[in-house]
Amino acid sequence: MARDRQNSDEFVRPIRRLLIGGLALALIGLFLLWRIDSPRVERLRAALVDRVVPSFDWAMAPFTRLADMVDAAQSYASLYEQNQELRRELQQMRAWREAALQLEQKNARLLDLNNVRLDPQLTYVTGVVMADVGSPFRQSVLLNVGSRDGIRDGWATMDGLGLVGRISGVGEATSRVILLTDSNSRIPVTIQPSGQRALLAGDNSAAPPVEFLENPDLVRPGDRVVSSGDGGMFPADLLVGQVAQGADGRLRVRLAADYERLDFLRVLRSRPVPRIEDPGGLVAPPAPFDRPVPVPVPEPEVAAEPAEAGDG
Amino acid sequence: MGDPITLRLWAGRGTYLLIACLIVFVRLLPLDSSPGDFAAPDLLLAVTLAWVVRRPEQVPPLLIVAVFLVCDLMFLRAPGLWTLIVLMATEFLRSRQGPTYDLPFPLEWALIALVLLAATLAESLLLWIFVVPKAPIGVALLNSLVTLLVYPAVVAALRFGFGLRRAMPGEVDAIGRRP
Repeated sequence: MARDRQNSDEFVRPIRRLLIGGLALALIGLFLLWRIDSPRVERLRAALVDRVVPSFDWAMAPFTRLADMVDAAQSYASLYEQNQELRRELQQMRAWREAALQLEQKNARLLDLNNVRLDPQLTYVTGVVMADVGSPFRQSVLLNVGSRDGIRDGWATMDGLGLVGRISGVGEATSRVILLTDSNSRIPVTIQPSGQRALLAGDNSAAPPVEFLENPDLVRPGDRVVSSGDGGMFPADLLVGQVAQGADGRLRVRLAADYERLDFLRVLRSRPVPRIEDPGGLVAPPAPFDRPVPVPVPEPEVAAEPAEAGDG
Repeated sequence: MGDPITLRLWAGRGTYLLIACLIVFVRLLPLDSSPGDFAAPDLLLAVTLAWVVRRPEQVPPLLIVAVFLVCDLMFLRAPGLWTLIVLMATEFLRSRQGPTYDLPFPLEWALIALVLLAATLAESLLLWIFVVPKAPIGVALLNSLVTLLVYPAVVAALRFGFGLRRAMPGEVDAIGRRP
């Protein structure tokens, strides 16, 4: 018995060491591959999430529902106060709604008078948040719409009110949304009354700071922050939130979207804006030295030239 | 295969996998997507380290690597790096199996503290070398401190919930080895 044990130890130990070494090498290889060729490994990641998370879905639904019910039960305690408050708010909202309707009509009339062309209406796909796939240092959620619904990387995502984040990583039936609070999120924004351009840089806190602000004196807490559409990735004028001054004196943005309860999210289909790349051709008949080969039939050319000259 | 010790070995592996799935599952629940005020403990790491100290044969390296690699991929971490560090940490604890065999708990806790510190520093250093965007080191250290603080609770929960304790001196497996 004792010899058996020694023998097996002698055999097992080197094999074991080999196994550990092999595993470590494979992991290092995976990390290096990710660092060198990130998109390929990210696709693998999207495929894995696509496979794993939907299979959890049936089990997650009751838990999520239960947590919602507990939340709801807690709010029953203060039902009366809430009801009163809601009534007051509703009264105020009615007044605002009236004002908004009037302004909308006025706006439409003025636009019509000026013959302004605005961006075509954005269309959107709505998805349900399936899972919270962030770690303590990464903020992201998973939606149940993916490439089969036509979702692409980089599209903007909103809840009912404000911007939530940007699609990053699309699987067949799932897609990942990097939230604005993630430390990798950088969104070009405009701060509304003053029109200052800035960058909203997530830093893992609930209120991301505003960076690269040209003139901070023109910005007050309470100003509206909307996306600016710079860089062509996001549509312009999506509501992001309000400026607030943090305890450290930095200007931060209190986000309009309700991050505590992300449920249904809209993914905005943004079509690539046609870019103007070349400086534009010269509006003139082509110069003769442009053609290396002499044109064999000169007659139509001669006929066309006076006509164009007549136009100009 | 039918003897009770082999059976318990596989039951232990199954239980570990089940607990790991449960932790991942709870973290996936979309309850609150706003960033929290304090760093959440890395429960999976605490469970793994506690298990390796107590029953190393029930958490083979392949199982650990599989669990952590899936987590790496699912939770947007640099794939493979954290898994590698955890593998190294567990191998270190495994190799100290002789000395830690009847280590009193406070000393075990101190050992775990060292391992957590080394793992966090190693991860930060490697991410810094490879110029991967990462959380500031203070936050990472705070996170491992919180993990360290929940470690005794994890150990107690594993002991009273799943009967996980160190092998008794007389326990042997089918071919007479101490597990």
